[in-house]
Amino acid sequence: MSAIELTEDTGRSRPSLTLWVGVVLVGLHVFIALLTVVWTPYDPLGMTGGRLEAPSWAHWAGTDRLGRDFFTQIMLGSQIALVVGAGAVAIGGAIGVSLGILAAFASRWLDDALAATLDILIAFPTLLIAMLVVAASDEASLFTAILAIGLALSAIVARLTRILAKRVLLLDYITAARTSGTSWPGIVVTHVLPNIWPTLAVNFALQFGLAAIAEASLSYLGLGAPPPNASWGHLLQEAQGTVYTAPIGAFAPGLALVILVVGINLLADGLRDFADPTRSARR
Amino acid sequence: MSNLVDIGNLSVQAGNRTLLDNVSLSIAPGERVGLIGESGSGKSLTALAAIGLLAPGLTASGSVQLAGQQVIGAQDRTLMPLRGTVTATVFQEPLTALDPLLPVGRQIAEPLRRRLRRDGRGPSRAELDAKVQTLLTQVALPDPATRSRRYPHELSGGQRQRVAIAMALACRPQLLIADEPTTALDVTTQAEILRLLAKLVADNGMALLFISHDLPVVARVVDRVVVMQHGVVVETGPVAEVFSAPRHDYTRSLVAAARSFDRALEGVA
Repeated sequence: MSAIELTEDTGRSRPSLTLWVGVVLVGLHVFIALLTVVWTPYDPLGMTGGRLEAPSWAHWAGTDRLGRDFFTQIMLGSQIALVVGAGAVAIGGAIGVSLGILAAFASRWLDDALAATLDILIAFPTLLIAMLVVAASDEASLFTAILAIGLALSAIVARLTRILAKRVLLLDYITAARTSGTSWPGIVVTHVLPNIWPTLAVNFALQFGLAAIAEASLSYLGLGAPPPNASWGHLLQEAQGTVYTAPIGAFAPGLALVILVVGINLLADGLRDFADPTRSARR
Repeated sequence: MSNLVDIGNLSVQAGNRTLLDNVSLSIAPGERVGLIGESGSGKSLTALAAIGLLAPGLTASGSVQLAGQQVIGAQDRTLMPLRGTVTATVFQEPLTALDPLLPVGRQIAEPLRRRLRRDGRGPSRAELDAKVQTLLTQVALPDPATRSRRYPHELSGGQRQRVAIAMALACRPQLLIADEPTTALDVTTQAEILRLLAKLVADNGMALLFISHDLPVVARVVDRVVVMQHGVVVETGPVAEVFSAPRHDYTRSLVAAARSFDRALEGVA
């Protein structure tokens, strides 16, 4: 941060352009996902036109090989991406933060054991862990996908939480809190969690994007929510066979996923400045 | 009445390095004691050992009694109620001793609420707010109503230290441990904070353990001094006696250094 920026300090930061673009992109997906609960342009399962029609005013993204409206299915895909993203981050966040805090407070050997386990888990690709979880359950469903991705994310969240919490625990204000008789749970709630939250929140947003991508990958492999759930990964897989005759089928779900992930990342960046008062004052 | 703190033959080891060697120190209720020595002489370590907050990896032997409770070897759970009731601490660097993400008023409210609860009263929000304002007025923070909503980085160094002192006062401790509370401040602010501490200690009838490397500063606020060097107590006695007729070489050199510094200042002026 340069001296010039410091002299232009106005005390309060205004929401940045980054934040607004992120809000608009993610908001678009949330709006569409909510809309599809009550209304879709066409019956998602019905034959509404010819097979593999090119995009037109009637069918914005054309039709698939069964003559179903492709745009309707992409809209429904938003629902799945958001549900899986939110569910996986909730599960991964809850498990990861608890484990991370536990490790930060634990005795030397328990901490070492946890840290080593986490490092091993992180060495496995997220998708591989998710595939193992899905394979271990009887059949692939939306819930197994959420659980699988959530568990895979929890190791990453736990490691980050552990490092962040350990750094905060070394600071003077923790010693100060202890000298005034604050209990360990009190220190976690009043000091540790609020101080690691800005970094965690940004990481959660990034994990949300990763979860959406992981869900598409699982569905692409046939391990996600089974049809007729219109997951983007599943749509991509179906369109693969006709990619030369109807490229829109492979392009549109990918674009929807990119818009969501980019939007979330921008939102995360923008939000970070609000979560941390010392940072906003320095801007 | 028995002593608040009774340290007897305390030794602290880090591996095979000895950090404190046979340190003995006691503080009676209402007594003001200065702990003097250069950096690394074990002053702060002694204070932390007194409240059972030694870093993990350090081993202590000897005896530390805090309000009659043996601290060495005690569970954290048994010591927790003593911290904040028997002792409270003000640290050297108020910027790092305050949580950067909490408005200062809320930081003071935290130990305050704990104390009121312990006294069997669940304070209302308004009562808590009012008491925070009172404390901030006691430490002479200008415009407490607005300042209590500020974050630590929005206050000056002196104001931050006043907040830290208010936090310690909120505990209403029998012993206030002040660990180099003026070292990070400029000279004018130092004098103000010292006057404030001396007044608060007198008003509330608290005992004071004042840790510093700065002789003239210590001399102004305490009755008795304990001089430490390399983890050993080298001299102890009433402040006037020790400073006018130091017996130990190290104390003599400290006093001489302070005098020559004063002379140098006068020479310039």
